[in-house]
Amino acid sequence: MAAPSILHVDLDAFFVSMELLRRPELRGLPVVVAGGLGARGVVNTCSYEARRFGVRSAMPVSQARRLCPSAVFLESDYSFYGPASRQFHAILRDFTPRVEPAGADEAYLDVSGSERLFGDGPAIARDIRARVKAEAGITASVGVATNKLVAKVASDAAKPDGLLIVPAGQEADFLAPRPLRDLPMVGPKTATVLAGLGVRSIGDLQRIPVHALQARFGRHGAELHARAMGIHNAPVLAGRAEAKSISRETTFDADEPAEERLRVVLRRQAERVAADLARHERSARTVTLKLRFPPFETLTRSWTPGAPVEVAAEIFSAASAMFDRAWAENSHRPVRLLGLGVTNLQERAHQLRFGEPGGHGQLDSAVSTLRERFGETAVLRAAELFRPKRPGQQLTTPPAAAHDQIDLEGFDWA
Amino acid sequence: MKVQVLQENLHRGLSIVGRAVATRTTLPITANVLLATERGLLKLAATDLEITIRTWIGARIDEPGATTVPARLITDFISSLPPATVVLEVPERGRQVKLECARNESTINSMDAEDFPHLATIDEGASIALDPKALKRAIERVEFAAASDESRPVLTGIEVKTEGTRLTFAAADGFRLAVSDITLPEPPAEALAAIVPARAMREVARLVGESTEPVTMRLNPGRTQVMFTMGDPEIQLVTQLIQGTFPNYTQLIPGEWNTRCVVSVDEFKREVRIAAIFARDGSGIVRLQIQPGAGMPGKLTINARADEIGENQGEIDARVEGDAGRIAFNSRYLQDVLNVLSGDVALEMTTPSNQGVLRPVSESDYVHVVMPMFVQW
Repeated sequence: MAAPSILHVDLDAFFVSMELLRRPELRGLPVVVAGGLGARGVVNTCSYEARRFGVRSAMPVSQARRLCPSAVFLESDYSFYGPASRQFHAILRDFTPRVEPAGADEAYLDVSGSERLFGDGPAIARDIRARVKAEAGITASVGVATNKLVAKVASDAAKPDGLLIVPAGQEADFLAPRPLRDLPMVGPKTATVLAGLGVRSIGDLQRIPVHALQARFGRHGAELHARAMGIHNAPVLAGRAEAKSISRETTFDADEPAEERLRVVLRRQAERVAADLARHERSARTVTLKLRFPPFETLTRSWTPGAPVEVAAEIFSAASAMFDRAWAENSHRPVRLLGLGVTNLQERAHQLRFGEPGGHGQLDSAVSTLRERFGETAVLRAAELFRPKRPGQQLTTPPAAAHDQIDLEGFDWA
Repeated sequence: MKVQVLQENLHRGLSIVGRAVATRTTLPITANVLLATERGLLKLAATDLEITIRTWIGARIDEPGATTVPARLITDFISSLPPATVVLEVPERGRQVKLECARNESTINSMDAEDFPHLATIDEGASIALDPKALKRAIERVEFAAASDESRPVLTGIEVKTEGTRLTFAAADGFRLAVSDITLPEPPAEALAAIVPARAMREVARLVGESTEPVTMRLNPGRTQVMFTMGDPEIQLVTQLIQGTFPNYTQLIPGEWNTRCVVSVDEFKREVRIAAIFARDGSGIVRLQIQPGAGMPGKLTINARADEIGENQGEIDARVEGDAGRIAFNSRYLQDVLNVLSGDVALEMTTPSNQGVLRPVSESDYVHVVMPMFVQW
């Protein structure tokens, strides 16, 4: 049987780990990071040392102080965690586009289809853990299973800094010995009722016949039984985090005077923005162009076309028209920075026409699939091949875009 | 020229021809209305060079003649007068029209009737007589589907075509198609086919109004113009035809379906109207889910949602045949077609990305085909 391919990746005590990076002297101590240290503060994350005292996330700070008076209390600093969170999600997307963020510090991945490139689920899980440790300096725990539910329970069981693989067919056996509260979606109410029936472990729940659960919980009963058996069919929903805008910016090493090159960069940006839009299943009503001239003179232009845009060609043509006008107004001066973004994102939908060829967006999706698998320069437009300076010289591919910044504003984290 | 007319008659006549007055024009006289004595009546006419409308009203003609006056001005003026006799007088070689009504007197600068564009009339050519109610109904059931943008001119028109005793009206804009038939008492002497600008057809429907007089439709021998003659007093509308080939739309009407549901037009219309409020901020997307009922009536669920606003879901009873189905439409397209139907309507579909078909259940003379919206479910 094939190796399981659904991963749940969870950063260990994320906010605490981040604080420990800049305050290594706190290692080994009970540390609590809270959203405010005042009367209304609530615990965001706490170190495993603090957990031993019974401190839990979502607990009032006052209660945490009573449980563990010796702990170090820190106020959360989102601006410090944000970049690491984005770095974490970027690492995950290197392995598959099918990443469903479940918060700043956790995500589900479906890596079926990535095996030929990166190995099977367990191999990818090991690579992810190694890369997160090497690149972000913090640890992640990973559960690998055949579905999201079991993967989640497995990553929780693996914590901290662990990896747990539940082979296909062993889901129910894996869950059976675990306490009932480990089963996601068993709320306190359900737990109380089940405790009244003598259910302590997930295995106890497995042994209760479906009809008995249905009699007690109605429609929810069958669902409860399925979950206890480790049956869960929800797909990994890529791009569930909803972006409010998507943009790409390129800062040139030397101020760029050549229209040809600027246009190539703009087209590439349009393709990347379109790929992100597709990943988020959105279309955009407004296209924004940003130009910076040396030293720091910045102008932006926005345009809202009649119909929302979603494919690269549409975004490029809107941006290109704005670029022509804005650049001409600035006497075609060399450009320091070029940026292209889309805002006013909305549900991706379009009115079909009679006899419409199914081609809408197919070129984009084919190109971005190839780039995801084989790298950014795997597929290029001919216009991107810079013209040789001397006859006979080879065409050259553009240099890797080191200065591209990914900007997913409003990224739904924390 | 000197004529006496009743204010009500002149007012009605001006409002009939008013829609043909040019609004933006490079030929200033087309913003005027022509007033001329003819057939012992006062003729009123206006044209924007595409559509010409003329009518005749009863008048006492003291001295024959013709003139043109700014349409907007005279219409506003006459409509404000009390119901009394209006005396209209143009002195020999005068540049002004003098108007008297009750104790009100005015003069309006005119332009020479000789300079008014020559107005086409069609006295010979293929013609058919139509029942005014049936004509109006057929026009109203298709005109909204005609394209409003000019990128494909033939689609801004309504195709009118005879085949035996069947007269078919069809309009399509690339996203939807409406086809409505009228059965003629007998086949016309000569088969007719023309693409009439939808705007002209809307005017015909408006001018027919509640009239019971048969309407004559006549093509000129060159097949470049059509004239509709209707009403009492007589009204004529002449329009240029759109040249080109109307798309062969029969292939757009699917022959089969996987899911068919019959619902009340009123209920469906109500739920779509509610959903449209929620769909306003998105792309006007309304999602339909058709659920067969095992033994019981099935249901049609109408859903709309908008990020940052909320969601709405309505449910109506439906007689469902075939599989469950789901399909999304632009709410405006659904409202357009439901607004011209009554009674029960059948919605037929195959897949979420193929045509949806709406047919009134008790009539076989109408079909509407609408392309869905591609959405993420």
